[in-house]
Amino acid sequence: MKLSKNEIRVAVFIIVPIIIILLFVVLKLGYSLASSTVDVYLKVENIKSIKKGTLVKVKGYEVGRIIEIKPVYKPTLHFLALMRIKRDIEIFEDCSAIIQNQNIIGEPEIEIRNPEKKGELISKASVIEGIEYVNLDTILQEAHVLLANLADMVDVFKGISLDSKSNIKLLVTNLANSVTTLNQILTDSQKDIGLTLTSFRKTASTLDEISRELKKHPVNFLFKGKKDDEK
Amino acid sequence: MISRKISSFWNGIKNFNTYIISIIISFKSIKHLRFRSIFTIAVNQTKFTGIDAMPLVASIAILIGGTVIIQATENFPKFGIEGFIGNLLVLIIARELGPLITAIIVITRSGSAITTEIATQKQHNEIFSLELMGIDTKLYIVFPRIIASIFSIFSLIIIFDIVGFLGGYLIAVTTVYIPIDNFLTTVMDAFSFEDLVITLVKSTIYGILIPLISCYYGFMPNAYFEIPIYVSRAVIRTVWIIFLINALISAMLYF
Repeated sequence: MKLSKNEIRVAVFIIVPIIIILLFVVLKLGYSLASSTVDVYLKVENIKSIKKGTLVKVKGYEVGRIIEIKPVYKPTLHFLALMRIKRDIEIFEDCSAIIQNQNIIGEPEIEIRNPEKKGELISKASVIEGIEYVNLDTILQEAHVLLANLADMVDVFKGISLDSKSNIKLLVTNLANSVTTLNQILTDSQKDIGLTLTSFRKTASTLDEISRELKKHPVNFLFKGKKDDEK
Repeated sequence: MISRKISSFWNGIKNFNTYIISIIISFKSIKHLRFRSIFTIAVNQTKFTGIDAMPLVASIAILIGGTVIIQATENFPKFGIEGFIGNLLVLIIARELGPLITAIIVITRSGSAITTEIATQKQHNEIFSLELMGIDTKLYIVFPRIIASIFSIFSLIIIFDIVGFLGGYLIAVTTVYIPIDNFLTTVMDAFSFEDLVITLVKSTIYGILIPLISCYYGFMPNAYFEIPIYVSRAVIRTVWIIFLINALISAMLYF
């Protein structure tokens, strides 16, 4: 029986939705067309600590790797890392993914932690929010910078203290010299003061004598000196 | 006035009941009909109701999917539920709008055409000629159209849902990035067997009711000038009944 063009078109129109429905039923019943792995996304804010090939582990057991990282610009820039995970270990929805270092100097790895309460098994293309432990390299770098700054500070203090020591020594010496000089001045001044006072007394008696002479013989006093000069 | 309306409504129900019974009785004579003749009518009707309506259904599905997603991406973040876009699409498009809008498109496009065609055939005495030839006109005219409508509406609903989802996705990715596989997984998870069964039930009920009511009004006119009156009546009443049935099915199966 040869089918007309209309009949073929109608057949396709009816059969295609039926196939889609059957496919939906098969997938809903849990049959998977995929292999023994499942691809899930890891959402991270930056990719400083992960790269293509980063291991994915569950309690230390390797279950997969990151196979692709792509930037996402909406709503803000973040990254989706595609993790291909083996199905041989049960990973549930609501699990968490912690990005951490294997050891002090090791490569980073992603540790999947299952929720306490078991739920649905993780499905294809699920998105897990990546929780990033602070990067050990960054901590070490920052500690290194801090120590370097501290060493510089200690050097500065050391220089300051050395300089201060010599300065203080010089200051004390100068101070001792100053005290000696002051003592000498005071000692010398004591003699001079006596002499000055004696001299003051002599001057005072001379002036007293002059005043008395002036009082008795004012004219003689005035011309006495002139006569002495003429002599 | 009110009693006359009630009486008219009651007579209408009685006539429609008689019409349905006559169709059921006419199934006795199905062995006298050639399969090829029914098959050809069903194929032509499926082409007109289904294939020819696909561009209209697809374009409306894209627009509705896009509109739903625009509203969702605008308002969902306010409630912190932006991850439920797939669920919203399934809820609105697959459960309610898909079957309902598809049914409305079929009613306005094919239902009115069926009524007009049968009314015109009646006025041209073509139906009378068929009866003179001993052909059961109820079976010959109504039955293939019911089969065609069931398949057409079922396929159109599936197409509407798929195109609506994809349209929604395409609109959604302009504002927020969702991996296509993640989106499909969400939609798959949200779309349950219950939704599938309800889609099948709705497509079957609509597929039976739309040609049944349209044919009923197609047989009614007794003059040419009555054709537009009955076409209009057929469209309006079918739309009203479809809304009623949709609400009843949703209430029965989702409550």
